[in-house]
Amino acid sequence: MKKILFTLILVFSTVIYSQEKNQPGNNDLFSPVNIKKFADYLFCQKDYLRAADEYERYLKSIPDDTIEFKIALSYSAMCNFSEAEKRLGTIKNTSNFFVPAQMLSLKTIFQEGDIARFRNAYIAKDSDLSIPKDSGIALLYNFSSLLTEASIHNEDDFVENFPYQERSRIKYFYEWKENPPEKSPLKAALFSAIIPGAGKFYAEEYSDGIWAFIATLGTAYLAYDNFNARHYTRGWIFSALAAGFYAGNIYGSASAVQIYNTRIRFDFVNEVKTFLEDKNYFLKVFDFCK
Amino acid sequence: MKRYFKYILFLLILIPSYSLPQDILQKQYSYALEKYNSEQYYDAITEFKRLLFFDGGKKYVYDANEYIGLSYKAGAKFSDAILYFTIAEINAGNNEELFNSKIEIIRANILRRTTARALTLLDTLQSDKRFISKKGDLYYWRGWAYIFSDQWDKAAQSFNMTDTNKTMVEFCKNVQHEKYSVPFAEIVSHFIPGAGQIYTGHYFSGVLSLGWNTLWGYLTVKSFVDDRIFDGLVTGNLLWLRFYNGNLQNADKFVKEENLKITNNALDYLQSGYHGLKP
Repeated sequence: MKKILFTLILVFSTVIYSQEKNQPGNNDLFSPVNIKKFADYLFCQKDYLRAADEYERYLKSIPDDTIEFKIALSYSAMCNFSEAEKRLGTIKNTSNFFVPAQMLSLKTIFQEGDIARFRNAYIAKDSDLSIPKDSGIALLYNFSSLLTEASIHNEDDFVENFPYQERSRIKYFYEWKENPPEKSPLKAALFSAIIPGAGKFYAEEYSDGIWAFIATLGTAYLAYDNFNARHYTRGWIFSALAAGFYAGNIYGSASAVQIYNTRIRFDFVNEVKTFLEDKNYFLKVFDFCK
Repeated sequence: MKRYFKYILFLLILIPSYSLPQDILQKQYSYALEKYNSEQYYDAITEFKRLLFFDGGKKYVYDANEYIGLSYKAGAKFSDAILYFTIAEINAGNNEELFNSKIEIIRANILRRTTARALTLLDTLQSDKRFISKKGDLYYWRGWAYIFSDQWDKAAQSFNMTDTNKTMVEFCKNVQHEKYSVPFAEIVSHFIPGAGQIYTGHYFSGVLSLGWNTLWGYLTVKSFVDDRIFDGLVTGNLLWLRFYNGNLQNADKFVKEENLKITNNALDYLQSGYHGLKP
């Protein structure tokens, strides 16, 4: 009896001690429980690629919709939106994560930058799920109209869709969309045709404008002066230079305005992106690391 | 015997309970090391991270972090590598480990081209009395830091302070000798437009530059001689000075380009032809 008791103590204590020493779960570091614990750790360390790999490994043993959702979150965090969308699509409608997955799926389409597809997908999902009008994704849908070509007719109606504290920013974005502070390349070319360098001033390239003015008028004067002094060869050389400066300046002014417009559009898109990222695209933040 | 039985029993309980998890961790360490040795660096990082996660006793904290750092370094993720080498440094168990981790940080900084940081760390190590016997190593890595910051003369001086790297001294001196002098190219271009380009072997560009400068220089001077002061000022400012400045800029650009080629060739040779320790 004593022997049996000792043997039992020996065996049990070995198992219990070893589990305690080895922290999570059992001795096998690759058991599903330990894989999940390790994956959760990687996920919270923001090592998303490895976390996704480990979650995939876990899913081979145990199906789990939370893990599916976390894999999608990992891909989304790595800006691999197409993979995130694919993974979100696998979450079944019986899952608690079905609705959040659908919302997150819309967000990933938006993040991919395909606004038209996002709007169509939203309409399709709205008819299936009846998305509440005050939900985050509905706000994102409303916001997305700022990024389309179509005009928004009523500013007040549009702005009132958003929470009070966001309205001043939304109003600013609305005004930018309706009246973008872009400049006309045609005007720039015309200005430069009338006064060399004026188009560059219009495009806010002041030093280029001054140089264009001096170069065009200077060479034109030299051509005139040399013709007057009957130095015809030099006269033609300076005429050709003046014509080159004049034509180049007209073309350069139109180009400068195009560059100016591209720059301000780029800045606007960046501002919008920063704003949306700051607000997590109006969606709830899933924090699995608390 | 019966008296000792309970002690024997106690030991029998304790020994396996401690050895079993350690054995698993040892296996995991070997597994991760195998991944590292077979150059599967992504997997090596994962497995070393797994080891660290389950290593409650922190037995492998130095080695695992060191290998994670090395794996990141092999993948050219130098900032990540430095982070893990730093963790290894914090957990170093003795001076040798401490020195190794610090040197790894320096090597990653050299590769990342944050030379100033590498040199600062080398200065710190050099003033540390614990590493007085490692002076040769420190001069060696200082030499490499200078190589990566394109200061071949200083690199030669540093290698000269080590006992074993006389070939590197010669190599660095040769590279320095091969390189074109930026001040010389700029100065000769001031006096003879195009000479800087010709000095670097760009003959066509040099002759062209000389031609343009001669033409516009002649027209400018001629205008002043003919009392056409305004013509002279405009031709001089708008044409001659522009070509003259262009000639200076070109000379500077060509020298830098040629020197870059020489440096890249030298680095290329060191990468494949030099068999000593490299960053």
